[in-house]
Amino acid sequence: MHLQIEHVSKTFESVLALDDVSLEVGEREFVCLLGPSGCGKTTLLRLIAGLMQPDSGRLLLQGQDLAHVAARARDFGIVFQAYSLFPAMTVAENIGYGLKIRGTAKAEISRRVAELLELIRLPQLADRHPWQLSGGQQQRVAFARAVAVKPKLLLLDEPLSALDAKVRAELRLEIRALQRALGIPTVMVTHDQEEALTLSDRIVCMQQGRVAQSGTPEDLYNRPATRFVADFMGVSNLLDADVMRRIAPRFRAADALGGGPALACIRPEHIVLVPGKHDGQVRAVQFLGNLSRIHLDVGGTLLLAEQSGQTAFAVGDWAGVEIGDGAGTWVRAD
Amino acid sequence: MAVTAPFPPPVAARAPFDADRLLLAVSLLLPLAVLCLFFAYPLVVVALKSVTEADGSIGTGNYARILGSPSFWRATRNSIEMSLATMALSLTLGLTVAYALHRCRLRGRGVIQAMVALPLLAPSLVQGLGLIFLLGRNGLISKMLGIEVNIYGFWGLLIANTLYALPQAVLIIGASLRNTDARIHEAATVMGSSGWRQFVDITLPSIKFSLLSAGFVVFTVTITDFGNAATIGGNYTVLATEIYNQVAGQMNFNLGAVVGILLLLPTVLAFYLERVASNRQAAAVSSAATPMVVQWTPARDIPMGLASWLIALLPAITIFIVVIVSFTQLWPYRFNFSLRHYSVSVAGGYDPLWTTVQISLFAGLVGVLLQFMLGVALQRVSRRVAKLMYFACLLPAAVPGMVLGLSYIFAFNLPGTPLYYLYGSAALLGMCNVMHYWTQAFVATASGLRQFPAALDETAACMGAGFLRRVVDVIGPFALPTMVAVFFYLFMRSMVTLSGIVFLITSSLSVASVSIMRLDEAGSTSQAAAYATCTMGIVVAASALMWLSLKLFGPGRKGTS
Repeated sequence: MHLQIEHVSKTFESVLALDDVSLEVGEREFVCLLGPSGCGKTTLLRLIAGLMQPDSGRLLLQGQDLAHVAARARDFGIVFQAYSLFPAMTVAENIGYGLKIRGTAKAEISRRVAELLELIRLPQLADRHPWQLSGGQQQRVAFARAVAVKPKLLLLDEPLSALDAKVRAELRLEIRALQRALGIPTVMVTHDQEEALTLSDRIVCMQQGRVAQSGTPEDLYNRPATRFVADFMGVSNLLDADVMRRIAPRFRAADALGGGPALACIRPEHIVLVPGKHDGQVRAVQFLGNLSRIHLDVGGTLLLAEQSGQTAFAVGDWAGVEIGDGAGTWVRAD
Repeated sequence: MAVTAPFPPPVAARAPFDADRLLLAVSLLLPLAVLCLFFAYPLVVVALKSVTEADGSIGTGNYARILGSPSFWRATRNSIEMSLATMALSLTLGLTVAYALHRCRLRGRGVIQAMVALPLLAPSLVQGLGLIFLLGRNGLISKMLGIEVNIYGFWGLLIANTLYALPQAVLIIGASLRNTDARIHEAATVMGSSGWRQFVDITLPSIKFSLLSAGFVVFTVTITDFGNAATIGGNYTVLATEIYNQVAGQMNFNLGAVVGILLLLPTVLAFYLERVASNRQAAAVSSAATPMVVQWTPARDIPMGLASWLIALLPAITIFIVVIVSFTQLWPYRFNFSLRHYSVSVAGGYDPLWTTVQISLFAGLVGVLLQFMLGVALQRVSRRVAKLMYFACLLPAAVPGMVLGLSYIFAFNLPGTPLYYLYGSAALLGMCNVMHYWTQAFVATASGLRQFPAALDETAACMGAGFLRRVVDVIGPFALPTMVAVFFYLFMRSMVTLSGIVFLITSSLSVASVSIMRLDEAGSTSQAAAYATCTMGIVVAASALMWLSLKLFGPGRKGTS
C-alpha cells in the first residue's frame, strides 16, 4: 500500500493547523510525524484516518482518492494514547471486534485472536477486562486489535506517551519488530525525538503546520536543515560564522543556504576536548551517569561538549577544542 | 511523487448521502421535535390564552382583572413570604446537616442522609399529612398534651415545605463542602487559625455560591409546589392554589393562564440566578484538591451530631407517622393494627395507582430514549448547535409543573385536531412528566456521556463500525449506568408528582397523588395515608431496584486506566 498526501491544508477557526503539507508513505514504511504540540501532526493523522476532512488538497491510497471514503470504510488500524480499549468487552472481544464487524466466522475470529494474543505474548489475558490490565498490556492489546483486520495502513497517535519510561522502551522494540514482521505501512505521531529516532524509517519533522524537514533518522540528526530541526532533534551547539572562524578555522565555510544567515550545528558528542591546550576554560561539569557534559567558555562563547562515562576535566581546567572529521553541518538560522 | 496542480480544487466535505448522517439527524431532530411540541408550543398557547378575552378578542383585560383582584395580591404576597421563609429555614438546617455530614465526625452518617432524603420518595402531600397526624386537630401530640394547635396555615406549610426542600439543600451545599481542598485548612491551622475562624474565613466564602444556588432551588421548589399548600395551607392561599382555584374551581381558564404566566416571572428569575451561582461554584473547585480528613473534635462534633440527628428525625417521623396511621384502627384513639383503611373509598379505587405506574414506566422509557439520542447526537454536532440545544434543554426546569400542565389543556384539548387524540390519554400525562423533569434528566445524561472518551468512538469508527453499531457496541454499554439512573429518576419523580398533572386527569384517568389529595379533601385522612403508603412502597421498591441494577452494571464504570 502506498499513501500520498498532496497539498493538504486545514484551518480551525482561522488558525492554520496544516499549511500545504505533502508527503508520501511507501509500502512497509514506518513514518513518524514529529514535532512540538500544536505543530499539526495530530491533525494530519486525523485527516489520514478520515476523522476529519481537509479544507483543500487530497489524499490518495494506491492512487484512489480518499475524499469520499468515510473513516469506517478506509480499512485502517488506529491506536490512541490511552483509554481506547472498549471497557465493556474482554481482551479477546476487543481484538476480534473489527473481524466481527466484517462478518468473519466465529471460528476464524477466535483462531486469529489466539494467534494475535500469542504474538503480543498475552494469551493468558484473553478473558480479562481492560481495567484489569496494566498500561503496557492495554497498549499491546490495542496494537493487536488494530492489526487484527490486516489494515492497509496503521496509524499510531502517541501510543507510548502515557506509559512509564521503562515500559515505553520495551514496547518501542516490540512495535518495531511487529511492524517489520507484518509489513504494514505505519504512520506514528510523537513529540518524543528519541522515539522517532529508534522507530522510524523516515521522520517528518513538523513546525507550525508545515513540514520542516523529512528524511531518515540519521539525516535529521546529523544534517538538520534548520535551527528548529536541529534543536528539536537533540542538544546542539549553534554557532554563527564569526565564532566558527575563531574556534574552528578548519571547519568548512558556510554553505549557500538560500542566502539567509546560517549557523553551524555541532552536536556535543562531536566536540573533542584536548588536555594541555588553552582554547577555553571549563565553567561547569554535569555527571549524568553514562556520560558527562562539560560547559566550556571559549573566548566568551559557551560550548557544550559530551564525553562518555566520567570526565577527567574539572571546573577551572583549560582545554583545546577540536571538531571531529565530517561532523557538524550548517543550518538555516530562521 | 506524481506531479499535481499547485492549487488542487477543494474537496467536498462528505459524500452527499450517508446512512450515519441520517441517523445522526434523526437523533437530534426527534428530541427537538418533542421539545417543540410538548414544551414550546403549549407555552406559546398559554401565553396567547392569557391575552385572550372572554369574547375571543386579544387584550390585556385578563391581566387587568387579575392584577386588580385583592385575592391575587394576597396569594402573591403569601407565596413570596412563604418561599423566602422556607429558603431561610432550609438553608440554616441544610447547612447544619451538610456541615455535620461532611466536616464533622458523627455516628450514623448514612442513616441521617437517608432520613433527610425520605421526602423525595413521597408525593409532596405526605409531609402535610404527616404534620396533620402529629399536630392537627386530631393529632397525636395535640391529643397527648391536650393543646389546640392550628397547624393549617403559615406555620404548618412552612414546616412541610422545609421538609420537602431540605434534601436538595443538603445535597447542593454538601457537594461543595466535600470538594474543599484540605491543604488550605492545613495551611490555616499552621498559621494559627482556630476552627471557628476557619469556618468564617475559609469555609463560608468557599461555599457561598452553592448556598445561593441552594437558596434559589428551594425558592423555586417552594413557590411552585402545590401538594403541601393544598393539604396544609388552609386559608393561606398561594399562587399555586390560586391557579388551581381559578381553573379547577371556577373554570376561569384564561385567568388561570394569567396567574401561570405571572408565576413564571419569579421562577425564571430564580432559575437564572441559580444557574449563574452554580456555574460560579463549579469554577471555584480545583480538580487537584486533597480530600479533608476530619479529626474528632468533641466541642464541635457532639452538638453538631445532635442537631443533625434532630433535624433528620423530623422528615423521618413525618413520613413514618403516615405509614403507622395507615395501619391503625382509629387515629389517635384506638391504636390496634388494622387494614381497613386500605379498602379505599375513592373513585377508581387502586386503578389510579396502576395508571401511575404505567405513566411512570412510559415517562422513564421515553425520557431515557430521547435523552440518550440527544446526548449522543450533541457530541457529534457543531459547537454552535450543541450550545443552542443545551440552552433550550435548560428551559423546562424554569417552568412550574402547574403552568406546564395548564398549558397542555390549552394545547391538546382541541376537538377536531390530531392533537386531540392525545388529550385524556395516559401517554400525554407521561409526556408531561418527561418535559417536567427534562432538564434534570438532560443534565445527568450529558454529564454521564461527557465521561465517554472520544478515542473509543474514533477507534471503533476506524475499525469499520457504523454509527448504529458504535451506539450499540461501544457507547451504549458505557452509558448504561447513567441511563439506568436517569430511568429510575424519571420513574420515581413521575410516581409522586402532583403539580404537573393535576389539570390533566379526567373522570376515567387519574393518578395516585390525585387520589391521595381527594381522600384528604373528603376527610378520609387515614385512607389517604394508606394510599400514600402504597405509592411510597412502589417508589422505595424502585429505588432498591435501581441500587441493585447499578451494582450489577458497576464493574464497567471503573474506567480503563
